[in-house]
Amino acid sequence: MTFLYPLGLLGLIGIPILILIYIIKSKYTEQTVASTYLWLLSEKFLKRKNPLSNITGLISLILQILAITFVSLAIAHPMFIVPNSANEYCFVLDGSGSMNMMQDGKSRFDLAKEEIATVIKDSVNKSRYSLVYAGDEAVVVFEQIDNKDQALLLLDEVEPNYGEGSIGNAMSIAQGYFNERPDILTYLVTDTAHQVNENIHLVNVASDIRNCSVSNVNYKITDTGLIVSGDVFCYKGSKNLSVSLYVDGAQEAAASTRVVAKDGAPAHFQLNCEVSSFSSLKIAASAEDATSLDDELVIYDVKSESSYKTLLVSERPFFMRSVLNAIGLNSVQVVAPKEYFNMSGFGLYIFESFTPAEMPKDGAVWLINPTASSSDTGFSVQGEVTLERPDVLSLTTSTSSVAKQLSEGLTEDEIYITSYVKCGLYRNFTSVYSYKGNPVIFAGTNDYGNREVVFAFDLHKSNIPLLYDFVLMANNFLDYSFPTVVEEVNYYVGETARVNVLSSCDSIRVDSPMGRVTYLDTATAACDLRMDEVGTYTITLVLGNNQRVFNIYSSLPEQERNPDADGLGITLQGQAVEGGFDGEYDPLPIIFIVLALVFILDWGVYCYEKYQLR
Amino acid sequence: MSKLVINEEFLRQVETLQTVLKNNIAGMFGGNRKSKTYGSSCEFTDYRDYVPGDDITKIDWNAYARFDKLYEKLYLDERQMHTRIYIDASRSMDYGKGQKAEQSLRLAATLAYMSLCEMEKVSIYIIREKQIEEVISGMVGKEAFFSCIGKLNEIVFEGDSYISDAIVPSKVGRGDGMSIVISDFLTDNDYETAIDRLAECKRDILCIQVLSREELNPQLRGKMHLFDSESIHRSYRKNIDREIANAYKAALQYCTDRIRNYCMARGADYMQVCAEDSMGEIFFDKLVNTGVLK
Repeated sequence: MTFLYPLGLLGLIGIPILILIYIIKSKYTEQTVASTYLWLLSEKFLKRKNPLSNITGLISLILQILAITFVSLAIAHPMFIVPNSANEYCFVLDGSGSMNMMQDGKSRFDLAKEEIATVIKDSVNKSRYSLVYAGDEAVVVFEQIDNKDQALLLLDEVEPNYGEGSIGNAMSIAQGYFNERPDILTYLVTDTAHQVNENIHLVNVASDIRNCSVSNVNYKITDTGLIVSGDVFCYKGSKNLSVSLYVDGAQEAAASTRVVAKDGAPAHFQLNCEVSSFSSLKIAASAEDATSLDDELVIYDVKSESSYKTLLVSERPFFMRSVLNAIGLNSVQVVAPKEYFNMSGFGLYIFESFTPAEMPKDGAVWLINPTASSSDTGFSVQGEVTLERPDVLSLTTSTSSVAKQLSEGLTEDEIYITSYVKCGLYRNFTSVYSYKGNPVIFAGTNDYGNREVVFAFDLHKSNIPLLYDFVLMANNFLDYSFPTVVEEVNYYVGETARVNVLSSCDSIRVDSPMGRVTYLDTATAACDLRMDEVGTYTITLVLGNNQRVFNIYSSLPEQERNPDADGLGITLQGQAVEGGFDGEYDPLPIIFIVLALVFILDWGVYCYEKYQLR
Repeated sequence: MSKLVINEEFLRQVETLQTVLKNNIAGMFGGNRKSKTYGSSCEFTDYRDYVPGDDITKIDWNAYARFDKLYEKLYLDERQMHTRIYIDASRSMDYGKGQKAEQSLRLAATLAYMSLCEMEKVSIYIIREKQIEEVISGMVGKEAFFSCIGKLNEIVFEGDSYISDAIVPSKVGRGDGMSIVISDFLTDNDYETAIDRLAECKRDILCIQVLSREELNPQLRGKMHLFDSESIHRSYRKNIDREIANAYKAALQYCTDRIRNYCMARGADYMQVCAEDSMGEIFFDKLVNTGVLK
C-alpha cells in the first residue's frame, strides 16, 4: 500500500489530542436546581443497570477516533497495488458522418464516447489507454496514458466529424499497438456492423433508426423556367416525403411535391418554377429522421456572385458597347473622357483613346488605344506608329497558361491595323498579338495588382470590330480580368475546394457552417479549402474597398446516410496473449462510505446521550 | 422577593374570587365551620352525663324524667375560629424563577382573605430552619387584611426548613380552626410529627404541596451535575437518561404518596399545586376535587 499524500497521516495526531480532551474536559453540565432530593431519591427506584449506558461515552470516543483515522487516511489517499490487474486499452472511435445520427436524444458519437468512458471508469487504476480517432484522417488522440481523468478529459474534447471515417487507417495504428503488446485490449466503437476477429472487441452503438436524404440534384434553366430534379432516399422502411424548392431563400409555392421512398431505393422527383436566374437553390425534404444533415441540399450560382459594374470611358463607344453586349455585360455605364475624374466602385474600367493620369485601384482595367504613359500601368507609351499600308497582326505562339487562356477558341482571323501605339513594357505582360515584335494586344497587372488588358491601336483603324474573334477575345479577356474564385459550388464533406486567389485580394475569409472562421493564404495563386462540416461555407474576398462573396455547399457523403450500412471485415493480425501489469486499487470511495457511517453512528450516539432517542 | 407578589391587581383578583366562591360554593371546609370544643353559645350540640360540679342550669330535666338519670346539655363554644397558615420559607421554594414562592404567598393570601370573610382570625407564619416566625398575627377583618397582607412581600426565602421542629414547639391553638401548611415537602426531614401535633390539637389541617413544572416533569437529559440550592454539599451527578427520569417520577410519586397518605391517615386534607397554576384552577378545580371546598 502506498499513500499519494503521506502528510495526510499527520492528522492521526488528532487521536491523542482527542483522548486528552476527553480526559481533561468534564462533559457533565453543571446546573443548580431547587432541590436534589428527588434526584437522589430516584437512585432507590432505578431498576437497571443497562451496561450500554455506561459505555456510551466510550463508544463516542471510539467513533471519533475512527473518524479521525479515516479522515487522515482519506487525506493521505492510500493506494493498493494489485499485481497483474491492470490492462492496456486501445480504443478506435469511429468518426464518420453517420455517427452524427441521433438515437434516443443522443448522437451515436456521444453514445460511443460514453461506452469508452464506461470502460475507462471500470478499469483498474494504472491501466493505460490509447484512443485512435477515425475521422477524415486517423488521428491518435492520446497514447498510453495511465490517468483516467486525463483520458476522460481528452475523450470529452473529441469532436464529431462528418466525412467518411478512416477506419482502415485507424485499425492500422491499432495493429501497431497490438504488435507491440499482444495483451492489449482493442475496442472498436462504431455504428457499423463490421466483421471482426477475436482480437477486437466490437462495440456497435447503432440501433434501429430511420434516415432519409436528398441526393443527385440537378437543374437546368429552359425557356419555360427552372427545372430541378433529384432523388430522395429512405433507409429502413418507407416514408412519404414532401420535397420543396426554395429559390434565393424563399419557398416556391408551386414547386413542391410528395414522394414515397423506401428501402434505400432512389425515389425520383422533379420540380418546376418560372425562374430564369437565381443566386441559390435549396431542395428540402420534410423528414423527421435520425439526422437533418442530409435532408436538404443547396446549389449556388457562381456567376451571380461574380456580377460587377463596368465603366466605359470613350468618345466613340459604339464598338466596345457592341462587343460588351455580345458577351453579356449589360450593366455598363458610359462617360466621356472629360467627364471622368477618378471614379471608383466599378469592377471593370475600359478607357478608349483616353489614358487617365492614375489608374483606378479597385477594378480591372482595359486600355484601348492608350494615348499617354501612366506610371502605374506597367508600360510606357512611346508614340503612335502609322503603317504605310494595313498589315496583319501576329498571334502569339507562347504556350504559357495565360497565353492559352487569352487566345482560347480564337479562329485566328487576320487582324489588320493601319497604325498602332508603340509600348515599352517594363513589367511582365503576356502578349497575344504583336506587330513585328511589338506587343499590340497584351495583358498583365498594373501597380495595384488589378488585371490589365491593352489594345495598343485604335479600333476604328482596324477590322477587328468586324471579326468574330473580337467577341471571343473580349470574352477571354473578361475571364482573365475576373478569374473564377471557385470552380464548383457543391462538394461532399471531406473533399477539397480550390479557391483561386485574386492578385489584388487583401484577404480571404472563410466562414464554416458551424461558424468557425479561417483565413486563406493570399500569397499563393490558389488555396485548398478542406470541408469537414455539412452546410454552406461562405468565402469572402476583400479587394480594397470591395468585397466579393461566394458560397459553396458541403453535403454529407452518400455512404454516411445509411444508418445500417454493412461494415467491412476488420482484423488484428497476431495472437493475443493474456497479460497485464500491476494496477492500483483506490479504496477512497470505501473510506468515504465508512467515514459517513462513522459520522452517522457518532451522531446517533450523541443524540442518544442528549435526547435519549430510545 | 424581587417583585411584589401581593399587589393591588392580585388583591382585586382575590376579592373577585371570593365573590364567585361565595355564589357557587356552600362554604369553606364544608360550610360554616363549628368549634370542636364545647362552650356557652346557644347552639345545642350534644349530651353528656352529669358530674357533680357541672352547671345545673344545663341539666336536661326532660331527659331526667324519661331516663331517671341526669344529663348535661352541651353547647358549642362561642370562641372565634383562628386560621393559622404556615409557609415553608426555605431556599428551595424560591430557586429559579421563584414561582413556587410566589404561588405559596398567593395561596396564603387568598386563603387568609377567605377565612377573614368567614369572620375568622388569621395568622401567617413562616418556617425558617427549626422555628417559626410570625409574619401576620391575629388579623381580623378585611381592613386588617388589606393593611397587613403586604408583609408577605417582605418574606425572604433562604436556608433550610424543618417543619416538625418548627411547628411542634409552637403555639398551634386547640380546636379553634384550621392549620394550613404550604411547602414543597421535598425533604427527608420529619413533617409527620407536625401533622400529628396539629391533629392532637384538634385542628383542621390542610397540607398544600407546591411544586414547579420542572419538578413535576423534569426535562433534564444527558450528563448533568446538579447542585442543591439549599446546600452546596448536596449534589447529583449522573447521565440522566429515560430510566433515571422514570426513577425520578417514581421518587416524586413516592414523595407525594407519603404526604397524601399521611394526611389521609390523620384526617387532614392534602392538595398538590403546580407553581404555574392560576388561582382559579386551584380553587375551582383542585380544592373542589379534593373536597376541601364543597
